[in-house]
Amino acid sequence: MSHDRTAPKNSIEHSRKRKSNASLKAAAHLHNNNYTDHYIHTGALPQKNVRNTDNPVEGYPNLQKLFRLKEKQIANHSSAPYGCRLDIDEMVPTLKNWIHNEKIVFDVVMIGCLTDNQFIYPLLTGLPIDKLISKPGFLFIWGSAQKINELTRLLQNDGWAKKFRKSEELVFIPIDKKSPFYPGLDNDDQVLFEKMQWHCWMCITGTVRRATDGHLIHCNVDTDLSIETESTRKSAIPSHLYKVAENFSTATRRLHIIPARTGTETPVKVRPGWVIMSPDVMLNNFDSKRYREDINKVGAHLPIRNEIELLRPKSPVQKRNS
Amino acid sequence: MNMQLITYLIENHAALLNPPISGDLANIYILFASTSKHESAGMKQQEAKLAAFWKELKDIADLCPGCFIFASTGYGSAALSSRDVTVEYIDIQALRMIRDSMISTPAEVARPVRPLGRESSEELALSDRLLSVLDSDAAATPNKRVLAKLEHFLSVKPASYRLGHERAQKFTPHSKFIPICGNRSHTNALASIASIAGNRVLSLDWNQLAGADQSTPGLSRCVQSKIHHIPNLKPQTDKTLGDCSYLDTCHKLSTCRYMHYLQYVPESLVQSVAARSRELNDAESDSKSICLYTRNLCCSVASKSVLPAQWIQCDVRKFDFSVLGQFSVVVADPAWNIRMNLPYGTCNDSELTDLPLELLQREGVLFLWVTGRAIEVGKESLRKWGYEVCNQISWVKTNQLGRTIVTGRTGHWLNHSKEQLLVGLKGQPEWLNRQCDVDLIVSGSRETSRKPDELYEMIERMVGPHARKLEIFGRDHNTRPGWFTIGNQLTGDSLCEPDVQRKYRQFLHTQRTSYGCSSVAA
Ligand SMILES: [Zn+2]
Ligand SMILES: [Zn+2]
Repeated sequence: MSHDRTAPKNSIEHSRKRKSNASLKAAAHLHNNNYTDHYIHTGALPQKNVRNTDNPVEGYPNLQKLFRLKEKQIANHSSAPYGCRLDIDEMVPTLKNWIHNEKIVFDVVMIGCLTDNQFIYPLLTGLPIDKLISKPGFLFIWGSAQKINELTRLLQNDGWAKKFRKSEELVFIPIDKKSPFYPGLDNDDQVLFEKMQWHCWMCITGTVRRATDGHLIHCNVDTDLSIETESTRKSAIPSHLYKVAENFSTATRRLHIIPARTGTETPVKVRPGWVIMSPDVMLNNFDSKRYREDINKVGAHLPIRNEIELLRPKSPVQKRNS
Repeated sequence: MNMQLITYLIENHAALLNPPISGDLANIYILFASTSKHESAGMKQQEAKLAAFWKELKDIADLCPGCFIFASTGYGSAALSSRDVTVEYIDIQALRMIRDSMISTPAEVARPVRPLGRESSEELALSDRLLSVLDSDAAATPNKRVLAKLEHFLSVKPASYRLGHERAQKFTPHSKFIPICGNRSHTNALASIASIAGNRVLSLDWNQLAGADQSTPGLSRCVQSKIHHIPNLKPQTDKTLGDCSYLDTCHKLSTCRYMHYLQYVPESLVQSVAARSRELNDAESDSKSICLYTRNLCCSVASKSVLPAQWIQCDVRKFDFSVLGQFSVVVADPAWNIRMNLPYGTCNDSELTDLPLELLQREGVLFLWVTGRAIEVGKESLRKWGYEVCNQISWVKTNQLGRTIVTGRTGHWLNHSKEQLLVGLKGQPEWLNRQCDVDLIVSGSRETSRKPDELYEMIERMVGPHARKLEIFGRDHNTRPGWFTIGNQLTGDSLCEPDVQRKYRQFLHTQRTSYGCSSVAA
């Protein structure tokens, strides 16, 4: 019944018969695939067809070099990895203690991870978060599309909106429905399209200018999108979430608060350069005195390195757009 | 119902699920058989008894869905065979409830069963203590098994969902799909044998391809089944620089020193793929014409023709929306007034949020394209118009090579590889086919601000081909059968619905007269 299977074979044989000066003619028109249709018919998710998932900067040797150099520099100027294991209820009091008694501030604060059951809004509103973050400082909030959507309320809150500017919205996409990061619970009956992504608000407090503050921020290094790779599955938090923050801000004081239980099976790992507060973090070794000493040793910001300055994308001088 | 089995499972669930047994069905059966006087039999009988045992377990599972979680090597396959099944989880609470309810009715008397692995009372005390530690931890932290069970319950979809998916498959024509080859060595091998002229690949020489097949095995077969991107090398090309950020949209092909590529697909492959999809579509057009599952669609969905494309060129901000009537779906791609010099007129946020969109839908779905800061303005507007944001679709923009766009300072702080589309839901429409598609579109970027056509198909799957659909701020390339398009960059107008024609004439008339009056007054 199906003639199609024999069709390409025939064409091979046909071409072989002509032997010399035989050639494989190119199609007259450019071909475009429709991955949405393909998903409907085969169940292969659209994101599986993205060709640079494993190495987003494939084909760009300069960017690859930049990423390598930055990774090395960040590793060389990192505090020891710290974990602070405590119950979700103890987070706000502990952080208040850090702010008022220990006088600790961070330049980069990340809140949340890729789980549904997070208590982000209560944490954000229960804290004087502007006192926990220095100025300028950067706040990354990760959660389900639903949870992030609820944060819009914060913008109506004058106190919040004056202190923090939402600057980018990032997205993390799991590779398939078997992924540990598949946001299955976010799909209630109301949802019109099956949800396949996690969202992140990147907020800035204080003033930074992208053209002149290269000692504080490196803009346009990462993109607002990342797709899960095999290597991200080993931890409760894909390393990409940390890397975006590390690549953007040159500050070395970084805090990650995870207001959710993430389970015992996928551990919350510690990471050099970060203090990680979570009920399930593997280490519980945070000590404010030792941390301060660490930061004094490595410096509050990464030093400027010419090699990186030459490679990183910069704003053109006074001529935008083309 | 095998009471003895239930009791046995309740008493030994921990030992059965943990190593060395690890829930293996065959081993559970052997252990269970050894406790309950069954004598060992020949292999063949054993096999039959295992199947019977498996059936007994399934009976219990049918009585109380979810009391077991089974797994096999081919997880998710419909028919689990008794040979490769493992029991991943046993809900002893549920089993206890079954036992209690059965015991009260004296149908069967449970025989005493010897529990597994309990030799000395001293060891028991130690193991109990260890187990209690585990239990308390499990109570405090969400345990993977409990979570898996909960997720299993929550992910059970109604039959309408499955039927909807199946129908979507039947109604979506097969498009030509050709995978893209990602093998760098193929790219390099092809660079030297392709005959290129005028920035197009003309052909590949068979003899040379056969020769290259020696050093790159599988090349000629791959060439005939996948899309390849062949380097378009010019005298000035410097391979060490890597790829051009603009690739096929580069305007300086004759001077640019970065790498550019040309798509190559053999004509024969395109034709065979086209023939195959034509065949599939023909086969499906038969099943479509006798569509029995018409829920949420027009009942003559298969035979009724779709209205031709309709459009009106107008200034959306001054247009009377009541001319248009009601729509199931509205799509809007406004030119948000963000600080970017887009090559067409932009309008202010407030002009946009003041549009009387509430006139267009009593209930329905509104799709709103947003960028950057406009995400929050858009969400606010949706709420103001009476919609609830129920999805945020990401369009992952890809380039010629099927890669995401990572260069070129496309965003202010980070580069932008995606665009966002807010989906607002008004009322509680019961005529929607939900969750046929995912909240992602992976598609190539085209001219500035042109959005992917995949969205139209997703919407048509959701509301059917005959529902009224409106696009606001559309351009000529957006007009489409079954759709109504309005926007100031359209060419003229084209209407076929008589009531809209009448109301539109009236609108034009009143506009002309009021314009006439004002000019007289002036
Ligand atoms: Zn290939
Ligand atoms: Zn170029």
